[in-house]
Amino acid sequence: MRDVLRLSIYSLGVIGGAFFMTGLPVAQPTMAQESVAVRAPLVKEPLPAEDPTAAAWNTAPRAEFPLSPQVHWPTRIGEVTVKSVKARGLHDGKSLAVLLEYADPTEDPHDAAALEFMVGDKKAHFAHGQPMAQVEGGPVNIWYWKNASGKVLDMNAQGFGTLKVQAQQDVKGKGVYQNGTWKVVFSRALSTSDVEHDVQIEPGEFINVAFAIWDGKKLESGDLKEKGSEKAVSSWWYFRAEPAPDYSGYLYAALAVGLAVGFQFVVIRKLKKGRSA
Amino acid sequence: MKGGLLLKGEVLLKKCGVFLNRGGVLLKGVLLIVGLYLFLKFILPLFTAPLPANLIFLYLALTVAGIVIFATLSSESTEEFFGPIVRFLNGERQTGPMKIARLLVLVLFPLLVGWQTYTSTVPSDMPPAESRTIHPAPPGEFVGLSNPIPNTPENVMMGKGLFAAFCSPCHGANFDGKGPAARGFNPPPANFVDSGTIAQLQESYLFWRIKKGGVGLPIEGMPWKSAMPRWELELPDEWVWKIIMGEYDGAHQKPRTWE
Repeated sequence: MRDVLRLSIYSLGVIGGAFFMTGLPVAQPTMAQESVAVRAPLVKEPLPAEDPTAAAWNTAPRAEFPLSPQVHWPTRIGEVTVKSVKARGLHDGKSLAVLLEYADPTEDPHDAAALEFMVGDKKAHFAHGQPMAQVEGGPVNIWYWKNASGKVLDMNAQGFGTLKVQAQQDVKGKGVYQNGTWKVVFSRALSTSDVEHDVQIEPGEFINVAFAIWDGKKLESGDLKEKGSEKAVSSWWYFRAEPAPDYSGYLYAALAVGLAVGFQFVVIRKLKKGRSA
Repeated sequence: MKGGLLLKGEVLLKKCGVFLNRGGVLLKGVLLIVGLYLFLKFILPLFTAPLPANLIFLYLALTVAGIVIFATLSSESTEEFFGPIVRFLNGERQTGPMKIARLLVLVLFPLLVGWQTYTSTVPSDMPPAESRTIHPAPPGEFVGLSNPIPNTPENVMMGKGLFAAFCSPCHGANFDGKGPAARGFNPPPANFVDSGTIAQLQESYLFWRIKKGGVGLPIEGMPWKSAMPRWELELPDEWVWKIIMGEYDGAHQKPRTWE
């Protein structure tokens, strides 16, 4: 009888383990080469909105995205200087700061970088929100920084040739060139009143983001190496302002543990009573 | 020597049989469940796609229900089934390992329940899952068109030249989707050498995809992500048909036929 009991204990353990394993979340494959999303953690300290070299950026996870020459639309370009861009984000619940970092061998007045977001609920094509044949698309919001101007333009587009600078400028920025690397920071309030033109960033929600970089180097011919549609681009990736930590899971778990202990207590008491009766 | 080994095996089997018989309904039930779990989780996937965890859970739950019903058909079998469990949980006159085992179960069970509750309530922090249809249905006017250009070596060669000029930056000089402009695009440009792309499609389908580009896709194809140009704005139809010819030839594929 003892053997049976022992064996059943072991078996119960195995079954318990089995149920445990079936419930285990499957480990997500880590992206070795490229990222899928920029994740901007929530911080209490002031945002380094004007300082691309601030130490605070080291606390934000770094995502990296490969870039392609823009070949979707004429004028195309066959090769670009910047092959990938690293992105980080931080937010304080009210405002957001995004840092782009990329290698560029020369500092030029026409060097430029941009972030692109979809505006509203409609999907927008990553190439300036150009019209799609079978899907009704929406506009894109473009934050465009240029070295020469030293500031960021808040723009919109919905199709090629429709790029327009907004009347209400909400985005600030600053670029610093050090040791062959551009570090450009963009900052804006998470939400604005102009919901028709501005991307609205809700902590916890994944939104789409795309990147563009121009190497504004002057060639011997006098032309700029990259300008206008001749640029390095990415298609859509994800961006998320991380939500405030949610501890309710622990509360529910504690409640469940309490219930399970209570259940055990009642069952064993009942069993003992049954025996003695 | 060989006979001795056989005899030993036989004795072991017999012992197992006796053990099983002595173990009664509970032990058999437990073994059945463990066996079923191992089969569903590890053996079945050798022959077919792995079962989702919730389906395995459902099968095990059904088996447990079946065993309980079977075990409680008579009062003797009920006692045989529940007796060991009751005695174990009761904890009376337990010593040594049994006492520890009981304690472990009583501690681990609530913890397991707590952990399961936590994992099922914790919000996901993964980006939304995307199920993009790679080859969605084309519009009616692009179904069943046949290539009007004669398949001559000259035309194929011209098609390959046009491919090199307009398509190879993304789709690659080797037709493998690994062109110098491919790396930044998500989804990546199609690899025509792969048997899952143009080999599965008709020339008519390629004609649609090249002419209308990424923005011509229906919603399930996620047109907003595709970098494929709308070539109808830049290339005459004749060139598109020649490019198709060059693509099949260069990738060593044949268009799909329905015969």
